[in-house]
Amino acid sequence: MTNGVDTFTITIRKRPWWFWALAGLWILVEVLLLQTALASADEGEVRAATISWIAAAILAAVGAMVWFRRGRSQKHGESNGQGEDASTSA
Amino acid sequence: MAGGFVAASGALGSLWGLVTGAGTGGNARKRARWIKTVDRPTLAEKTADYKRFSGNDMFALYRPLKAQRDGAGSFEAEQASKTKRLAAWMKERKPGFSQPDQQLSEGAWTVMRSARPGTGLLSWTRAPRRTPAEPGAQRYTASPEEMANTVKAAARLYSARLVGIAPMNEGYVNLQVPRENEKQNDKEIVFDDVDVPAVTDTKFVIPRKMKWVVAIAIPMDLDLLSRTPTPLGDAASALGYSHSAFVVSSLAVFIRGLGYEAIPCVNDTAQSIPFAIDAGIGELSRLNKLVTPEFGPAVRLCKVFTDLPMACDKPVDFGLVEFCKTCKKCAEACPSRALSFDNEPSFKTKGPWNNPGHKTWFEDSYKCFEYWQKSGSACGVCLASCPYTKGDQAWMHEAVKATASIAPEADGVFRIMDNAFCYGKQHDPEKWWTKHSSSGRRG
Repeated sequence: MTNGVDTFTITIRKRPWWFWALAGLWILVEVLLLQTALASADEGEVRAATISWIAAAILAAVGAMVWFRRGRSQKHGESNGQGEDASTSA
Repeated sequence: MAGGFVAASGALGSLWGLVTGAGTGGNARKRARWIKTVDRPTLAEKTADYKRFSGNDMFALYRPLKAQRDGAGSFEAEQASKTKRLAAWMKERKPGFSQPDQQLSEGAWTVMRSARPGTGLLSWTRAPRRTPAEPGAQRYTASPEEMANTVKAAARLYSARLVGIAPMNEGYVNLQVPRENEKQNDKEIVFDDVDVPAVTDTKFVIPRKMKWVVAIAIPMDLDLLSRTPTPLGDAASALGYSHSAFVVSSLAVFIRGLGYEAIPCVNDTAQSIPFAIDAGIGELSRLNKLVTPEFGPAVRLCKVFTDLPMACDKPVDFGLVEFCKTCKKCAEACPSRALSFDNEPSFKTKGPWNNPGHKTWFEDSYKCFEYWQKSGSACGVCLASCPYTKGDQAWMHEAVKATASIAPEADGVFRIMDNAFCYGKQHDPEKWWTKHSSSGRRG
């Protein structure tokens, strides 16, 4: 608190263009794998469905891991006074 | 989240349709962009040896060949043994061979078994109930393109899934219709400058003015085909043939109702495969049968000859011949090793069941039929194992086929993936009944 006034820091994160391209690709592949899994199960192709479910689960786990690690490393970078992002405080 | 997935799937599905240029499954009139039309079929080379086929397929040849190879009476002994085996399997309710399994196939054959060349359903002359002359109408005329579209629309209504128009080629018409029993004679098939087709005691007469052929493909039920080699799996073929008989007979009456002549044929009278190739329905494959891009080889073919002028379609190329050179999955899956393992197609025939003078992967049909006798079924493992035999629900299948059509370098990878995903393996015959009965239980 400064002079009895609450302060807040707002950090605006600007992700690079390739992040969005990768995210889009991730979503595309994930949807394709899930669609293949559901459709293969419907077509009676059990092994194809199983492989697709496993692949979709692995890709989801990898995506989640990347997301959380990136989030944590950026937080760590801010607390060390580093950061590529604009920030503003009120 | 589930709603988001459904929305994303729907959006991507529409986007996929836009990219490939096709409608859903194989029922769309517009074919996918990766199916290219070409001026000549991919396996089109012919030599001077190419002549009209005798009409004596393996069904006509097996008995005399068996007697030649294994002695007089060997065919009859084999038939007796097969009948006994089938009866025993029926009694012990062997999956795929039980009484309901065998009778499901018998029932599916019903329409086809009542279809004989030139008579009944496949009559060459049966008029519609009201001919154009009766209400005083003229023969229906329109541009060749419009006529082709009209005939295709009618064929699709009658449940044809793939329809194409090819020019008549007398070289594809058999020399004769083999007799069905000892009391009959083979009947010659001749072309003549007459106005109407005719079926006499000694010959079938095709008017030379019948210059167009409507080639049709009926997809086989994949759920049944996946249970092959069993009588349950045979029901897929049987159903396809019965549908074929219905489609061509209905289409023939429709065409006659427009004021033209029409000759409906299923497997009889002429070779369906080369007409289907010329009509752009598919390509010739390692199976020495047609493979369609939409349904693979899991189709039954039929055709209607007519003098109704129509715009002809062109053959197609979707990278199948290059794929077949690498794949060989059908040859490996064949229980009797009847299919060719050669890397390249050739002119070398394997027996009198082959028609020489054209380039393909010829097969040993004797070995194939011998396995039919041994297994008590019409096999079809090659059809089920082909990587192009796939359902139409998973987008992955279309993505792979489209990529194979433009990047043959990836064919080997797709073949490995097809095995890794266990496509083409036999599905449990028992589960067909539990899947399709309302109680979820057999009986």
